[in-house]
Amino acid sequence: MSSFDLINMALRNLWKRKLRTFLTVLGVIIGTASIVVMISVGIGMNVGYRQQIEEMGSLYVINVNAPYSSDSNSKEKVQIDTASLEKFRKIEGVEAVTPVLQEYFTLIDGRYVYDTSIMGILPETMEAMGLDVSTGRTLQEGDSMAVVLSAYAKTGFYNPKLSWQYRWNGSQSIEIDPYNDKFQITYDNNYGTKQMDKSIKPKKIQVVGEMKENGQNSYYTVMPIADVEKIVAEREKYQKSKGQTTNTNKKKGVYNSAMVKADDIDSVERIQQELKDMGFETYSLVDYLKQTQETSKMLQMVLGAIGAISLIVAAIGIANTMVMSIYERTREIGVMKVIGATVSDIRRLFLTEAAFIGFMGGLTGVAISYGVSKIINVVGVNMGRQTLSAIPIWLGILGIIFATFVGVAAGFFPAVRATKLSALAAIKTE
Amino acid sequence: MSEDIIKLRNLKKIYRMGDEKIAAVNNVTLNFERGTVTCLLGKSGSGKSTLLNLISGLEKPTKGEIIIKGLHVERMDETQLAKFRQQYIGFVFQSYNLLGNLTALENVTLPLIFKRVGIKERKERAMEMLKAVGLEKRASHKPSQLSGGQQQRVSIARAFVNNPEIVFADEPTGNLDTKTTYQMMDLMMGLSGKNKQTLIIVTHDMEISDYAQRIVHLSDGRIERIEYNSESIKHSNELGKARREEVK
Repeated sequence: MSSFDLINMALRNLWKRKLRTFLTVLGVIIGTASIVVMISVGIGMNVGYRQQIEEMGSLYVINVNAPYSSDSNSKEKVQIDTASLEKFRKIEGVEAVTPVLQEYFTLIDGRYVYDTSIMGILPETMEAMGLDVSTGRTLQEGDSMAVVLSAYAKTGFYNPKLSWQYRWNGSQSIEIDPYNDKFQITYDNNYGTKQMDKSIKPKKIQVVGEMKENGQNSYYTVMPIADVEKIVAEREKYQKSKGQTTNTNKKKGVYNSAMVKADDIDSVERIQQELKDMGFETYSLVDYLKQTQETSKMLQMVLGAIGAISLIVAAIGIANTMVMSIYERTREIGVMKVIGATVSDIRRLFLTEAAFIGFMGGLTGVAISYGVSKIINVVGVNMGRQTLSAIPIWLGILGIIFATFVGVAAGFFPAVRATKLSALAAIKTE
Repeated sequence: MSEDIIKLRNLKKIYRMGDEKIAAVNNVTLNFERGTVTCLLGKSGSGKSTLLNLISGLEKPTKGEIIIKGLHVERMDETQLAKFRQQYIGFVFQSYNLLGNLTALENVTLPLIFKRVGIKERKERAMEMLKAVGLEKRASHKPSQLSGGQQQRVSIARAFVNNPEIVFADEPTGNLDTKTTYQMMDLMMGLSGKNKQTLIIVTHDMEISDYAQRIVHLSDGRIERIEYNSESIKHSNELGKARREEVK
């Protein structure tokens, strides 16, 4: 019997008993839909976590720190310098590397000032490092004395002449215009107050953008690292002239930290491990993501198992339908055997019928799951969550394949039973 | 001398009924010549149906040999038997045994489907066969829309569609009235005669046995006697005609 004839005959047999077929398929629909929707909620949570984490910064970026240890006995000192940065660049899968210099400077806009954490990086790497802007642009190669303002700068400027308790009085809001005002920067954090040192000359800078909110780096004002180094050098000179001890006892070309960008999310872990092997301390959002993934994996499995129960019930339904069908069709099976159907023809016929029940149930169940998933998400958005349920294509396809497989498995025992029917007894059944 | 297409050697079939053993077929040795019509005649319980089932491979003998076209049927497994039946055997049943959800044409096509004959060819052959039994206009009817005689015609068409060398008929007219009985017998004789097919009919009806060249009387699983019908209806149709007149 050819496959075409087999499918044709199986469909006709199912069609002949429409109501029963429909009810059995309905069981599979419910089973498949419950399993797919349950898993989709697990996946949705994962996607939601990921969206949240991605907002915090790029998942591709690894933060590298020199180890905090005064272990001077070690033969080779592990530090972030030009040589080690070069080594980072040579790791397979690394797309961009920048040293990072963090400082605390004061921005000046006319009468007002804003004390801000500064992140000095190579300007051309800013975009790659996922330091996104909400307005303007990121730093680019060749930028000098340019900054991307901290996301909180707009509300952070205050009048330094006022005493502390009046500075951030809610009623007094200071409007700044990042792109038209003239800004200056200084390492003198007392600028504008009575304690300021007028010999320290602020430097003109230009604002090219503003950081995006809600990220892990959004409170930083980002500057080209060369400019930061220049200001730091000036500060050191000033401090020396005053006979103060400089608080930066670092050598030029040695940095506290660096950022490394991987070309692919799958490389992040490996690169991180290689950096660790070199003796550096690393941190990336992937670490965090992995934790949340572990949690949602557990959740997915529990939810999937709950859904699986209804599919098991559906499988029993299929088996029941097929056994009933064999009792009814005893004679038909006998006749087919007598006029030349082989044992494998009979078995294949019953397996095909069971597979179709599973397939149709799976197909419809997955289609319904997509609908239910949409509804869940609409409700979820109202509740303030971005994604509650997600059905990736692989889950849809897997759902259909799984339902079909369940059909075949449930139909196996009845099919074997059908082949064992004696053709003779079958014909005699009136 | 024509060759023997079927050879039965000391065939025995014993059923167990509790502690009792019943020999439904007891030591039967019989040959069937190619192209002949044989009638297995006997009362209910004489073992005639069992013998038919043994020859067609539907049941395994307890003892003895069944050799058809040189092949040992009793040694075949299920798959071989299925292929063997596809190849050489056609069946006509007392209760027609058509599949209810298939049309007349599809029922006739069924053996060809199992034999994996292409769609176009099998449709043509089935239609031809339906024409031969005079039911071409009922091709798309379901069995439930056909009379008993028409259903048996479909069943005969199904048995002959594959052009098998051997056709078994188990009480083919048991459910039919006298007039239809003769029509069916004429039809089977005509079809089997055309292609020199070997026809084996099981019946308890003496009148049907008149169609056969040889009548094997069975009783208690043994061959009681064998009768040769020199004036078999197949050759001189007069007797049949006379009978038909009678019925009319």
